[in-house]
Amino acid sequence: MDPGLIIFLFLQGLVLGSIYGIVAVGLSLIFGIARIINLSHGALIMWGAYTALTFFVGYNLSPLGSLFIAIVVGLSLGASIFYLILRRLIGAHELTTLLATFALSIFLEEIARLNYGLDYRGFSWSLGVVKIFDYRLTYSSILAGVIALSIVIILTLFLYKTRIGSALRGVAQDPVGAYICGIDVNKIYALGIGIGFGLAMMSGVIITMYNPTGINPYLGAPYLLKSFVIVVLGGLGSIIGAYVGGIIFGLAEVVLFPLYDYLHFHSPMSMTLFTEFVILLILLLIRPYGLFRR
Amino acid sequence: MHLLEVNNVTKRFGGITALKNVSLYIDSGEKIAIIGPNGSGKTTLFNVINGVYIPEDGRIIYMGRDITKLSAHERAKLGIARAFQITRPFPGLSVRENVMIGALFGTLSEKINTREALKIADEMLKLVGLYNKRDELAIKLTGPERKLLELARALAMKPKILLLDEIVAGMPPAKVDEIVDLVKNVAERENIAVGVMVEHVIRAVIRFAERVYVLDRGEIVLSGKVEDVMRNPKLREIYLGTRFKGGV
Amino acid sequence: MIKGKIIDHMSLIIMIFSYIIIWMLKTSFPEYSQMLTLLLYYIAIAQAYNIFLGMTGYVDFGYVSYFGLGLYGMALGVSYASQNNLSSSEAIILGMILSVILAGSVAGVVGGIALRLRGAFFAIATIGLSQALRYLIEGAKIWGGAEGIIIAKDLRKLFGEEGFSYATITLPDTGIFILAVATGIIMYLIRISRLGYGLLAIKEDEDAAKVFGVNTTLYKFVAFIISAVLTSLVGSMWTLKVTAIYPPESFNIAFSVEFIVIVMLGGGGTVLGPLIGASIYSLSKYYLGVYLPGLQLTVFSIILLLIVLLFRQGIVGELRSFLYKHEIVRKIIR
Repeated sequence: MDPGLIIFLFLQGLVLGSIYGIVAVGLSLIFGIARIINLSHGALIMWGAYTALTFFVGYNLSPLGSLFIAIVVGLSLGASIFYLILRRLIGAHELTTLLATFALSIFLEEIARLNYGLDYRGFSWSLGVVKIFDYRLTYSSILAGVIALSIVIILTLFLYKTRIGSALRGVAQDPVGAYICGIDVNKIYALGIGIGFGLAMMSGVIITMYNPTGINPYLGAPYLLKSFVIVVLGGLGSIIGAYVGGIIFGLAEVVLFPLYDYLHFHSPMSMTLFTEFVILLILLLIRPYGLFRR
Repeated sequence: MHLLEVNNVTKRFGGITALKNVSLYIDSGEKIAIIGPNGSGKTTLFNVINGVYIPEDGRIIYMGRDITKLSAHERAKLGIARAFQITRPFPGLSVRENVMIGALFGTLSEKINTREALKIADEMLKLVGLYNKRDELAIKLTGPERKLLELARALAMKPKILLLDEIVAGMPPAKVDEIVDLVKNVAERENIAVGVMVEHVIRAVIRFAERVYVLDRGEIVLSGKVEDVMRNPKLREIYLGTRFKGGV
Repeated sequence: MIKGKIIDHMSLIIMIFSYIIIWMLKTSFPEYSQMLTLLLYYIAIAQAYNIFLGMTGYVDFGYVSYFGLGLYGMALGVSYASQNNLSSSEAIILGMILSVILAGSVAGVVGGIALRLRGAFFAIATIGLSQALRYLIEGAKIWGGAEGIIIAKDLRKLFGEEGFSYATITLPDTGIFILAVATGIIMYLIRISRLGYGLLAIKEDEDAAKVFGVNTTLYKFVAFIISAVLTSLVGSMWTLKVTAIYPPESFNIAFSVEFIVIVMLGGGGTVLGPLIGASIYSLSKYYLGVYLPGLQLTVFSIILLLIVLLFRQGIVGELRSFLYKHEIVRKIIR
């Protein structure tokens, strides 16, 4: 096998993995803080992608600028959804929050469909390509991977080095204890869910930097499903775990696809997805709390 | 042969040893009390006896049979019943249905149908004085009523051993006497062995027991006849002395 | 005494009576026939799912898989029968048997393993399972892969040109009606049995249920298998109606959610819930399609939110709790 290809696949896997990492981080964060599995995560990713598209086409704003719009919109949307809906469901049966966030997901998808239609859309923000041996990787996708990593680093610093960050971690560990210590738990939940929503929307923008085509109202569903595998891989609720899980996942994907192709499977893409879900099932059975947690 | 023997049981949680080499026994129809300060391991001990936890070391023998590895529901069927300290009624079911579940899955389990279980449930509810609340949803009961429901549900299992967690905690003294008498009467009539755990040295409870075990930091430090243990100066030390001497 | 017994089983009588009325309406008003069949289909699936979701409180987002395996079972049975010149009744029986075997064995494996997980972890595992099945069928090109299975030709061969409408309308419609009644009766019998009380105890507090003697692992497993097999039978009848099946639709999580919404809307664990939930759901879906075309899902997402926020126990459940004091209500509304 061509050594150049191996190096290229490794780099591509890292970039893709970094993006998968940022995609999964928001889901893990919300679960960690509020014990809510946010089924609208995928729909928010989709809205992030549309944000990038709309501002690029309409105002000639680069996706880098859209990142800021995404975090602001996500924060305010998440906080409002918390106060409107989720606040009443904290501590209720898990079924209720699953259904509530699923309803939100359908709502967001439908609004997108009514607004943008079902067509696949895209835009072209080309910064050129890098040649790695004989293979090409776009600059924008490398940038996407680097930005994803930076966001995770900033988020980690925020959680571990600031007062609000430690309040967030406190609520995640013991909401009652945090309440007794004088933390306004509702505000923290609202902030945590807002950050989670913002991360989801930013990851939508980042996805368009990797692949600026194929934007449609149902773009988020496969990312949501993959995020499940990734967060379980890294331990539900863990930020660094989710990111590392994403890297592993990205590397696995760039290996599996050519492998199934080489083995002449009818649809290598489907087989790759199949393998991912089998990994999820096996992980849930042997290490339901993540690979890295004891 | 004792009804239940706990032999050298050790239970750890991570680095913390909750129970260290604990041994005790209880005979058929006997009443024992387990006392000890908060965090001494009483709840863990009950959880090990009824199968919520499996101990790392030691054995539990019940009616001559090693039940150390049996799961909680299997032990319930063999006649080990439990009433929780923090009451756990099935909130969305009626009071009657709660007690029925006790009867349906207790020692009579395979021998009775739902109609007979209903009859047993009604009997038990009359016994504890909740009969006129039988069709309320369990969630609507007051705190003390929930304790009575907890007791009725455990008794409906027709157990051989009844483990009562702090059943009288937070109750007025008059109510304590009433519940203690109630348990005593039923236990004597149906030959049920009773293990009751209490945090504070409550006279009524201690007097009710024939023997007493004192648990401190996961170890049994004193045991024997009630009068002997109560007179032992070590008891005072556990509750007052060491804690204060050691500095808080 | 006898009167008392009838009152005791009033909810069952009301339920069966309602199904018969729906069936009579269907035969009397052919213009509404397909809508009422759709209603019976939703009732049957919701009642089957109720046995697991409603009774245990475990959410299976991959529940559609059992419906999908039912679809595939019948499609495989019919195409095998047509290739091997079996009779039409042999084809249908073979299809139903295959549906049951496929759904039963997958449910057996999943139930045996995933039911050890609780809450969110169980829900995620079931999503993983339904997607894994879908992509395996597509990726390894099992059972026609992404091209699906089309059985219209086989049905024409088996039933003849003149028997085609019997095979695709009369037979499945009757089958779905019978299944609606059967799942209702099974649900009712479970609800009033030891199994039912054990399951409700699990839903209320699984750890306490264990301490009170409920073999939680076994009970969840039994409910899961019964539920999956009944749903697969509804799927096997549905194949005859649609005559063509494809992996994305057969394992579409949106269908699982549709079933969950119906059970929740009516009231999980109640006998009459699926009837009420399915009626409201299918009627409003139908009329929203007529009056607000394209906006059904938007409206549904809002309705779903309102259920979650205002009617946590569903319509029947809330009504029962509200009127619990009255003995008659308690017996009629179950």
